[in-house]
Amino acid sequence: MIQVDGLSFSYSKKLPSILSEVSFNIQKGEFVALIGQNGAGKTTLLKQLNGLLKPTRGSVKICGMDTRTHRTSLLARHIGYLFQNPDHQIFCETVGSEIEFGLKNILQDEDIINERIKEISALLSLGDKLDKSPFSLSRGERQRVALASVVALKPDILVLDEPTTGQDYRECMEIMDIVKGLNDSGTTVIMVSHDMEVVAEYARRTIVLRGGTVAADGATPDIFRKTDILSSSNLRPPQIVELALKFEDGFHTVVTAEDMYCEIARRCGK
Amino acid sequence: MIEIDNLTFQYNNSDRPALKDICLHVEKGGFTGIIGPSGAGKSTLTYCINGVVPHYLTGDFYGSVRVCGLDTVDNGCMVLSRHVGSVFQDPESQIVTSVVEDEIAFGLENFNTPYDEMEKRITESLEMADISHLRHRDTAGLSGGQKQRVAIATAIALRPEVLVLDEPTSELDPEGSASIFETLSRLNHEYGMTIVIVEQKVMLLSKHSKRLIVMQDGRIVLDGMTREVLRHSEKLVELGINCPRVVELAGKLSKNGLYQGDCPTDVDEAYTMVTDILRRQK
Repeated sequence: MIQVDGLSFSYSKKLPSILSEVSFNIQKGEFVALIGQNGAGKTTLLKQLNGLLKPTRGSVKICGMDTRTHRTSLLARHIGYLFQNPDHQIFCETVGSEIEFGLKNILQDEDIINERIKEISALLSLGDKLDKSPFSLSRGERQRVALASVVALKPDILVLDEPTTGQDYRECMEIMDIVKGLNDSGTTVIMVSHDMEVVAEYARRTIVLRGGTVAADGATPDIFRKTDILSSSNLRPPQIVELALKFEDGFHTVVTAEDMYCEIARRCGK
Repeated sequence: MIEIDNLTFQYNNSDRPALKDICLHVEKGGFTGIIGPSGAGKSTLTYCINGVVPHYLTGDFYGSVRVCGLDTVDNGCMVLSRHVGSVFQDPESQIVTSVVEDEIAFGLENFNTPYDEMEKRITESLEMADISHLRHRDTAGLSGGQKQRVAIATAIALRPEVLVLDEPTSELDPEGSASIFETLSRLNHEYGMTIVIVEQKVMLLSKHSKRLIVMQDGRIVLDGMTREVLRHSEKLVELGINCPRVVELAGKLSKNGLYQGDCPTDVDEAYTMVTDILRRQK
């Protein structure tokens, strides 16, 4: 689904590389977190995936299409991008027209478009907000509007740049549960996040970026046990992993409170 | 230091009060965290402490708010700002000059601080905010965390007794957020500054705050020592608060009859809890 091969990138020849020799493949249906400290190249890498930026060396292929030879608008049908700040992507006067905007570019039949708006607004609990201005809504609701306009196009791949910033926990869970639902029905998800608890609870695979290179790539429970790599990236594992690592066996693959509870209950014979 | 009695406030053009019958007394030298879902009234409460409500954001105001003995209705923001420093979510919206030391001088100039005194205050507040090395830097080229620290230095240059912060780490990465809290703890411990902070990162906040206040729908629903408040894990989860995962774990264990003791609030206490449970099984 996504093939990144020897990707290097710098904004100009005079500037140092922001990404160097980055390689990984992502299969259909994966849920991947991209973590690393500020300036590690996370957002730059995301922008390579939808063709907003093109490789200086190496290649990026999305559904078999090389980003250097395919237009960004064509890639956009396969890859949806949710920016960190919803206000950077919302611009229409009503929630309904915001969701409609992208659809009009790929669909002709008005009935199908309206059907799709109805379906998406129900999925994101925006059904009663279609006539409202997005800017009269709360930050969490605006994030849902931005997500709705991306998801309406039914992309194969969903790219999220810190989807939970600036929201309270309940709003954060709402967004993440919607994303999880899409992933369960086959959408490939790649997410940048600083919140290790969110990474632990949702991402099955984690890639650590450090200084523009891949420092680690693997199953999330394994990555969170590589404490030397995490600390050299100024990251700390989630609280439950810190607890698990105090035990000799490291509680195997435990990463969430639910995992830990189940493992303790199992050991107690329940 | 802060005395809020029976405060109810409703913004103009709003159909319901943002704050309902709030009573809150904060002692000098306290480090108080305010948590709760969005729309609970947390920011409005901070605006009532620094005088933004009712002087800039107006509405129907009932009850009384006194800060350092000054009634916030009778005293304007100019007077209050010598006693209460404010730091907001987005440092960009607060920074007005292009060089760090000018930014700090700006607030002092507004209060006719003598030149010699100004020099002293700038040096002192940069040091207190851990950014002496940034004194001559352009504000535009700073990282988010550095900008937020400039906002803190600017606020403390006026030597306020109270520092009120509204989600100061929301735009920062984990390292930047942790270091802001270390600076706040130092201001609290070494300089006795009273800290009142609204924060979504409950795990980080609870490491530093002495007292936690939980708000919901304009009211204070829980108020106590940080450890005591965290023990109400079910209530916190129900309110949609991101409580420490060890608290969540203890909640699951006690709900299923595996644990009866006190709720742990950090990793070390959780380790003791889990070891005890496993030992009892053997």
